[in-house]
Amino acid sequence: MAMIEATGLTKDYGGLLAVDGLDLEVDREIFGLLGPNGSGKTTTVLMLTTLLRPTAGTARVSGHDVVREAARVRERISYVPQDMAVDIKLSGRENVAFYAALYGVRSRDRVDEVLGVMDLSERAEDRAGEYSGGMRRRLELAQALVHEPEVLFLDEPTIGLDVAGRRAIWTHITELRRRGMTVFVTTHYMDEADRACDRVGIIAKGGLVAVDTPAALRHRLDGERITVRVDRRAAPFGVEGARLVVDEADRLVFHADDAAESVPAVLAGLAAQGIRVRGLEVESPTLDDVFLALAGRQDEGGAFDDRRFRTMLRRR
Amino acid sequence: MHPVLVYFQRDMRRWVRGRLNVYSTLIMPAAWLVFVGLALPTKFTDNYLDFIAPGILVLTMLTAGMQGGSSLIFDKILGFFNKFLALPSPREAILYGKILFITVRGLLQATVIMLLAVLLGATIFTPAMVLFAYLVLTLFGVMLSAFSTAVALYVDDHDSYAAVNAVLSMPLFFTSSALMPYDVMPAWLATIARANPVSFAIDLIRSFAAPPVAWTSLLGLVAVACLMVAVSSLLFRRVTV
Repeated sequence: MAMIEATGLTKDYGGLLAVDGLDLEVDREIFGLLGPNGSGKTTTVLMLTTLLRPTAGTARVSGHDVVREAARVRERISYVPQDMAVDIKLSGRENVAFYAALYGVRSRDRVDEVLGVMDLSERAEDRAGEYSGGMRRRLELAQALVHEPEVLFLDEPTIGLDVAGRRAIWTHITELRRRGMTVFVTTHYMDEADRACDRVGIIAKGGLVAVDTPAALRHRLDGERITVRVDRRAAPFGVEGARLVVDEADRLVFHADDAAESVPAVLAGLAAQGIRVRGLEVESPTLDDVFLALAGRQDEGGAFDDRRFRTMLRRR
Repeated sequence: MHPVLVYFQRDMRRWVRGRLNVYSTLIMPAAWLVFVGLALPTKFTDNYLDFIAPGILVLTMLTAGMQGGSSLIFDKILGFFNKFLALPSPREAILYGKILFITVRGLLQATVIMLLAVLLGATIFTPAMVLFAYLVLTLFGVMLSAFSTAVALYVDDHDSYAAVNAVLSMPLFFTSSALMPYDVMPAWLATIARANPVSFAIDLIRSFAAPPVAWTSLLGLVAVACLMVAVSSLLFRRVTV
């Protein structure tokens, strides 16, 4: 049994198909759901977290149906929306104790423990209003972890944080996965998804267009590009693992599965013809390229709520 | 601790720690009592304070209850509400926590007013009267906070909520029996005032100071408060985002 299983999951907002027959299996990994604004990411998360009733299809989280056994699902998951909602007038410890009480966690030690895990022990007695954006996000993670959930849903966990803050959050998320938790995360930051996610799904217009490891997705494009500037036209020559795609008087372009491995062979082939290399450049496709190729650009379905966005940013 | 009390404790802490809020909610009704109760030149009674104190008490609960829904509005705008909905504790607990918080806050204000009224020379507040006033105000507060929190569930921004609140609160107060008895009102106002639920609560408190006590009104208030809570519970149980 996978921790998250969705079959034909669909949400129809009176004619607007926000999510259209989504099939997905996620199990004990960090799964990143990537998609343009309005592609159905949040709707998917809301259905999986029991907040929104699907129009059609089913989803099971932690072995329980999200509609018929919503209460059981809620006991086993945590959901951290992107809003960054911590009570600034309560101390860090009070913020966590509040969720511990609502989840029926009785042990006081558990509150201290999650504060420690999130590196907040020293500031636990301070009001959350005095915390930085990164600390507030870690406080939210501490709240979400207090009942030891099996599945953690994170909506844009690093939005608006500085580089150090982002890195800290991902370190913590990776550590949670290592301990066996399933982490379902939506993000706009491709580089972060590339580095941290075990698998990513790309969603566009309510449907998944690709699900794979980040590396495999990158390889779906033409692999890496090796561009060599030369002083005269070369006679064609073969290089294992690479393909010559541009052959001009002063420029050669190869597509390679693994550029680092092919570069010496390319250089050796040119040297054999006595051609002088004037410059060399290697480019790897990023997840950004994959994303744009697969998802393209999509305008938002709903109106952009600028007030909510500003409120959100002010609180980082 | 019961989830209702957990939500209540959170709201209470947030309110108490925002000190300015506390002072302003306590000063506002006190100002009513002083500036209206002592200053208005009235001919129909020797002790206008005794007459108007029940009115100000109910006004205070009216304001506290109607404005109370904004607590949920802010939880919605700031993203707390979605997190609460994803918790395993029953969703009505969110509603009951708000009702408890809003009502208790209103009763604290009412306490200040009764103390002040006695200091200024009101004579109606015997211990039994105080208890009876608390009872009526609690029922009235539960009714209003259940209503306003349910309204907040369906309104998305604070401006719209404030508009709904303003349209209801002020007319309800000024067309009630708070400021003057029915026989000195213009006839058209008296007709409206007799049908106004705010007058019911005020007259009920006054009836205790000048018996017979209107027990049927009390039962009516209990019934309406229960109905309001039942309807709101149903709405909360069903809510999706």
